[in-house]
Amino acid sequence: MKLYSELDGIGAHLSAAGILIAALVALSGCSATPPTERSDARDRYEDANRKVFAFNMGVDSYVLEPVASGYRNTVPEGGRTAIDNHLRWASMPSTAINSTLQGKFENAALASLNFLVNGLTLGFADLSEDDREVQREDFGQTLAAYDVPEGSYLMVPVLGPRTTRSLAGNVVDIVMNPLQIFGTSTTADTVRTAQAPVGAVSFRANNFDAFNDVKYNSLDPYARTRSVYYQTRLGLLEDRVADRAGSAVSEDEFDSLFEEAK
Amino acid sequence: MMIRRRFLAVGLGCLGLAALPAGIVRADDRQAAAGGLIDTMIADLQAFLATDTGDVEARAAEIDRVLGTYFDMDTITRFSAGQYWRAASADQRTEYEMLFREVLCGTIVGNFDQLNGLAYTPGATSAKGDKFVIVGGTFTDTSGTRPPVAINWRVLTRKGKPPRVFDIEIENLSLLVTQKQENVAVIRKNKGQFGALIEAMQARLDTPLHSK
Repeated sequence: MKLYSELDGIGAHLSAAGILIAALVALSGCSATPPTERSDARDRYEDANRKVFAFNMGVDSYVLEPVASGYRNTVPEGGRTAIDNHLRWASMPSTAINSTLQGKFENAALASLNFLVNGLTLGFADLSEDDREVQREDFGQTLAAYDVPEGSYLMVPVLGPRTTRSLAGNVVDIVMNPLQIFGTSTTADTVRTAQAPVGAVSFRANNFDAFNDVKYNSLDPYARTRSVYYQTRLGLLEDRVADRAGSAVSEDEFDSLFEEAK
Repeated sequence: MMIRRRFLAVGLGCLGLAALPAGIVRADDRQAAAGGLIDTMIADLQAFLATDTGDVEARAAEIDRVLGTYFDMDTITRFSAGQYWRAASADQRTEYEMLFREVLCGTIVGNFDQLNGLAYTPGATSAKGDKFVIVGGTFTDTSGTRPPVAINWRVLTRKGKPPRVFDIEIENLSLLVTQKQENVAVIRKNKGQFGALIEAMQARLDTPLHSK
């Protein structure tokens, strides 16, 4: 389930940088939850985060879930693939720059090539014939590569879970949206404005069952969301790939579990 | 002094080399046993799917059998309660064990239809210390409508005991770690009361699963 890695990608397309900055400012004014009352030590603002989560679930129930359901049922497979292709294409400049900053030059070259080739169709059609998949890299991952601490866990209105570091990275990634270079032309403006809501609907539709399972069938949907976010993000930061079995980080987690079991 | 150190290093190196083949064989044996367990389990499940009529009770019985045969349910149950397992009374532990298994079975049965039309391809296997082995694999939708899903099976390989699965990791997401973190959150939000987790699980069982 690539739930929150994709959600991070959507954040990069949002032109609403104001939401991110406002969220940072608002949360900086929130009082921290006392450590003994937190359900996870990393969740410094848990009380405020849970309130935002309840708000986000309301938005999901009244807007995103019904729209995503309609999108799944009415837009043909080819149309949905084209939209996903465009959203991925829009993140390529950010991936190329961040891959370079992290020393992942092959990935940077692949992202640049993909961006140039598919630019002919604004990314809606995948014209590249390269089977190698571009690994998405964002500025949050670049900050992690330079040992910037991840900061607190934040539940951002509308956008969902982030750490302070990944949220700050989103702001930088927004600037790298290729449609920014087209200035204020009407077409570019329209596509740029549509990217955020379309991205959110596409993400929700692509993860419809998994998202609903967390939302409706969990003992504590907030805690499960936080766990899923941290594990997915860790997988991205560790560059874990699908066919490589396990990682040292997961092993550490289980070492502590083995200790508990004694 | 320098010569003595060199002799010592060479001697230790030889001892290490001598011990290496035995270590490799043991790790290989554990990996083979873990991989064999997963292959048998998949074949077992595929045999059931081939004759599945959609009967919910039959599916629940099959899942319960699979959990009992291939999974280390004692370890999974203990781990899923985190550090609060120690604080739980004997009665609470018994009740939790029963509820946990029931919730797990119910969740799998609720998602059972998603298992149809999947083909499994075994992947890389690697030993993690002397405690467990990770067996990789991929589930592919034969109709091509769903993208392939990478999976890692964490298999306990303890000396003198048969290998048993204790965790499944799907696309970097450990189901056991996720469940443990959620359970611990429920307990911590209720001032460390283990009973709160039992109540939450009972409430989960009393509510029908959200339909897809």
